Amino acid sequence: MKFNRRDFLKMGGGAGAAIALGGGFWKWSQFPVAEKPNAPGVEKWTPTVCGQCTGGCGTLVRVIDGWAVNIAGNPLHPVNRGTLCPKGIAGLQGLYDPDRIRSPMKRIGKRGEGRFQPITWEEALHLVSESLKDLRQKGEAHHLVVLGGRYRGLMRSLWDRFLNSFGSPNYIDNQFRWEEPPVEGLFLTQGIHDLPTYDIENAQYILSFGSGLLESPWSPVQMLRGYGHFRRGRPGMRGRLVQIESRLSFTGIKADEWIPVQPGAEGILALGIAHMIIKEGLYHKEFISGQTFGFESWAGPDGREHLGFKEFVLSEYEPTVVSKRTGVPIDQLIRLAREFSSSQPSLAIGYRDRPFHQMAVAILNGLVGNIDVSGGVLIPRSIPYQSLPPFKEDAIAQRGNSQKRIDEGKGISVNHPYLFARNTLSGKPYKPKVLFLYYTNPLFSNPDPGLFSKALQEIPLVVSFSPYMDDSAQLSDLILPDHTPLERWQDDPVFLNNGFPVLGIRQPVIPPLYRTKATGDFLLALARSLGGQIQKAFPWNDFKEVMMVSLKGVFEAKRGDTFGLQFDEAWTRLLQRGGWSVPSYKNFEEFSKLLLDKGGWWDPVYDFGERDRVFRTPSRKFEFYSQGWKKARSSSSAEGKDSSFLPHWEESKEAGNEKEYPLHLHVFRTMSLTGGRNANQPWLQAMTGQHLFEKWKTWVEINPVTAKRMSISDGDWVWVESPRGKVRVKARLYKGAMPDVVNIPFGQGHASGGRWSKGLGQNPYRLIGDDLDPITGYPTHGTTRVKVYKA
Amino acid sequence: MHRWGMVIDLDRCSGCQACMAACHAENNIAIIGPEESAMGRTIHWIELLPFIEGEYPHIKARLLPRPCMHCEHPACIKVCPVGATYANEEGIVGIVYSRCIGCRYCTTACPYTVRSFNWYKPQWPKEMEGSLNRDVSIRGKGVVEKCSFCHHRLLKARERAKAEKRELLSEDYIPACVQACPSNAMYFGDLNDPFSTVSILSRERRAFKLLEDLGTEPKVIYLSEGM
Repeated sequence: MKFNRRDFLKMGGGAGAAIALGGGFWKWSQFPVAEKPNAPGVEKWTPTVCGQCTGGCGTLVRVIDGWAVNIAGNPLHPVNRGTLCPKGIAGLQGLYDPDRIRSPMKRIGKRGEGRFQPITWEEALHLVSESLKDLRQKGEAHHLVVLGGRYRGLMRSLWDRFLNSFGSPNYIDNQFRWEEPPVEGLFLTQGIHDLPTYDIENAQYILSFGSGLLESPWSPVQMLRGYGHFRRGRPGMRGRLVQIESRLSFTGIKADEWIPVQPGAEGILALGIAHMIIKEGLYHKEFISGQTFGFESWAGPDGREHLGFKEFVLSEYEPTVVSKRTGVPIDQLIRLAREFSSSQPSLAIGYRDRPFHQMAVAILNGLVGNIDVSGGVLIPRSIPYQSLPPFKEDAIAQRGNSQKRIDEGKGISVNHPYLFARNTLSGKPYKPKVLFLYYTNPLFSNPDPGLFSKALQEIPLVVSFSPYMDDSAQLSDLILPDHTPLERWQDDPVFLNNGFPVLGIRQPVIPPLYRTKATGDFLLALARSLGGQIQKAFPWNDFKEVMMVSLKGVFEAKRGDTFGLQFDEAWTRLLQRGGWSVPSYKNFEEFSKLLLDKGGWWDPVYDFGERDRVFRTPSRKFEFYSQGWKKARSSSSAEGKDSSFLPHWEESKEAGNEKEYPLHLHVFRTMSLTGGRNANQPWLQAMTGQHLFEKWKTWVEINPVTAKRMSISDGDWVWVESPRGKVRVKARLYKGAMPDVVNIPFGQGHASGGRWSKGLGQNPYRLIGDDLDPITGYPTHGTTRVKVYKA
Repeated sequence: MHRWGMVIDLDRCSGCQACMAACHAENNIAIIGPEESAMGRTIHWIELLPFIEGEYPHIKARLLPRPCMHCEHPACIKVCPVGATYANEEGIVGIVYSRCIGCRYCTTACPYTVRSFNWYKPQWPKEMEGSLNRDVSIRGKGVVEKCSFCHHRLLKARERAKAEKRELLSEDYIPACVQACPSNAMYFGDLNDPFSTVSILSRERRAFKLLEDLGTEPKVIYLSEGM
C-alpha cells in the first residue's frame, strides 16, 4: 500500500488535523527548526530525557554557542507532552552546578575528612581493577558489592552482567521510599514485582491513602497531567479526590476532602471501608467470583479449610473498631465505602506502607473490580529489548555466584540494604571488601543514615560514581564521577498511566563539561582490563553500542512507533488493532535516526484481558489470600495462621513512650526537593515550602493549639527530639498539622554537596529508628515519637 | 490589535510550582541565597500564594499562582514619578529598567504585590553565566522588576511571523509559565478575540479576578475550584 500517514494528514486537511492535534500543538509551536544549527548565536533544540528524578520526561534543551540555556518539555514525548515540573527545568542548574566533581579523585585525608586529590582516569581504572583482580585471586569475588539506586534501563542489565561474570551475587537495590507506589501490595495481590499503574485520567473517584499524588509521585509530570485531565479534561465530568493523610499536604489541599488520620493508620481505615463495602454488598460480584482467589472460605489440596477474606474482614474490622483506632466517624466511613463503590471507575492508591497495609488498600480496587480495566489498575507490557548475548562464567565466577548474598536475600524483595549494612558491621555471613555506589546516597536518603555511615567505615574500598560530592561520596576512597544526565547516553524505559510502554532516549546535549566519564563506559573499560571471560562478556566499545544492540529488539518487535503528535497515536492504534504495523521507519538506520530526532519510541496500545500478564500469582487470579507470599515464606518457616496471608492490620511498635515523647513525627516530601538529589539547585531551594513561604531551610509544622500549649510561637527555633537524636529546626504553626503530629520535610541537611546544599537545614531521617519490617527489611513508617522544645 | 490575557484554572492547578521555576529560567531572575531570603528579598515574577482558612480539622486551603495581572488600570503606572512603568498598546505593563530610580512607590501601590526590588547586583558563578537566557536583559542593582508576560517571546514571534510573511497568530506566543504547566491549568491568548480559549474561559461561571472591587481590571482571570 503506497499510502502513509503523511498523505493521510494532507488528505484530512487542516480542520481535522487541528482538532486531533489538540492542546499539545500550541506548545509545539514554540520550537522553531533551526536552519543552520551550528552557526554562532543560532539556537538548536536537542531532544533528551530529563534526569532530575525517576519520571522519565522528554525534554528539549536549547543550546546556543555550546551552552545549554533552557530546558523545555518535548511536545512529542507522551509522558509529559511539552510540559515539565520545577525539577525538570532546574536541570540546567544541576548541569552547571559550580561545585560539581571535575575529575576522578582519590582520598588523601582520613575517611570523611573530605580531602581528595585529582587523579587521571587511567590511574583510577588501574586502582579499581587491581583491587578487583586481588579479590578474585583470593577467591573472594563475592566480597564485591554494588549498591544501586533509582535509575532504569540497560545500566541495570550491565551491572548484573558484570557481577555475574565477575562472581558476586551482591547487587543490592536501595530504592526504598515510603512515598513510592505500593509495590508490595501489587505483589501480594497480583504477583508482580513492579510499580502498579493507575489510570487516573479515566477514573472518576480517587481515594488516596496517604499517597503523595501531587507532590511526590514517581513520575510527577505524568501524574499532574493526569490530574488536570481527571478534574477538567472530560466535559461534564469532574473527578473527585479524597485524601487520607496525617498532614494537610498539597494533595490534601487540592483534594475535595481531607481526612486526617495518624501516620501509618491508613491501612486499618482501608480495612474498615472494605468491611462496609462487603457488608452492604456493594462489591463487584462477577469479578470476585470469576477472577479472584480467597474471597470466600476455601479448602486446600490437603482438605484443610481456610478462612476467606470476607469472613475475616466482617468479623475483625467492625466500623466501631476502625473508628476508634483512626478517629474517623462511622458515618464518614460508611459514606466513603458507598462513594468508592458507586462512583465507577474508582481507584484506591496507597503508599509503601507495611506490606499488608498496602494490600488492604490494593484489595479495595479488587473489590470493585477495577483491575485491568480503563480507569483502574493496569499492568503495562515491558519494552521488547533484544537480550544481550549469553556469556561464559569462569570457575572463579561460578564459585563466587554460588555464595550466599550478603543481605541474605529473603522476603518479598531479595534486596535488603539495611541487612547489608548490619551484616557488614557484624561480619556475618562475610564482610564486603569493595563497594560500588551507583546513583544512591544511603548516608542521606535512608532513615537511620548513621547505620550506613558506620557500615561504610568497615569496607576497605568504597567507590562512588556520583557526579556531585554527596554525603556518601564524601566518605568514599575513590570518586569516579559520572556524566550528568544532560551529557550522557542512556535508555529510559517507562510506562504511562494508561499502560502504554514508552522508551525514551537520553542523548548528550553538550559535550562533557569536565573530566567525567559515563559509568557504563567505565564498566566496559574495567571488564577489558580484568581480561579473560569477563572481557569476553563485554565485547562493546561504549555504552551507546550496548544500547543500539538492545534497541534492535524494539525495531524487530513490529509494534508501536517513534514518538509523534497525538494524532499519530490514534492512527498507530487504529492500524495495530487491525493487525497492521506501519511505523514511520523502514530499516534500523531510519529507526535509530528517528529515535534520536523525536526522543524515543512507544507502543500506544494496551491489551486488556491478557490474564497471564495481569495476574502472575500462583492461582492466576487476583488474590485476597496471598499464596505467592505463602510460597515464598513456607520454605523458611512453618505454616502460619490464615490471617497472616490476608490483608490485616499490624499495630507497629512505637519508638519512644507517649509520656516522654508526646507527639508523632511525620516526615513528608515536597515537590521541589523530592529525593534530596536536587538540593544543589537554587531555583528549587527558593520554593521548598510555598504554603508557609519557607525556603532554604528545614522547618517543623506544629498545630497552633499544640504550639500554644507548649509556649512555642511561629518562627521560634526549636529542638525536635526522638529517642534516636535531635535536630534544631524552625517552628512554623500550620493549621494543617494534626494536634498530636508534627511534620518535617525531607530534602535538606546535607553534610556536603556544594555551596547551595551544604550545611542548610536538617535531615529528619536522623530521628527515625531502625525498626525494620520483617517482610520488606525496611524501616516501618510513622512509628517514631518526638518531643519539641525551644532551642 | 491583540489584548493579551491569561486564564488560570485552579481546579486543574496542582500547586507544583513549575511556573515559578520556568519563569526563573526564562527571565534570568537572580539567585537569592538563604540569608537574603530570610530578609524577604526573594524575587518571583510568578509565585504560588497560599490561603489557609478555618480551624483544624475543618480547613479550606487554596493555592493560587500569581503572575503580574497586567491591569487595564494599573496602580503602579500612576505612582511612578519617572515614567519607568508603562502599558503598551497591547495592554502589557512593562518597566524601562534604565529609567527606574528604585523609589519603590510601585511595589507599594500594586495591590497584588507582584513587584520585587533588586537589593544587590545579581550575580551568577562564572560556571553558569553562559547558560543565562540571551533574550532577556539582566537587571541591575536598585531597580524594580516584575512579570512581563515574557514580552521578549512576543517580539520574537512577531519577527518570525514577519519573516514568514504572515500575520501573527495568537498561538505563536505563550509565556514560559504557560508552556511549562504540567496539568495544563494555564491558558494564554487574545482577549479581544471573542472565540479565543481565554475569552471563552473568561466568560465561564467559575471565572473571577483578584480584588475586582479595586477597579484595576486585571487581565489574569482565575477559574475557581469545585463544580
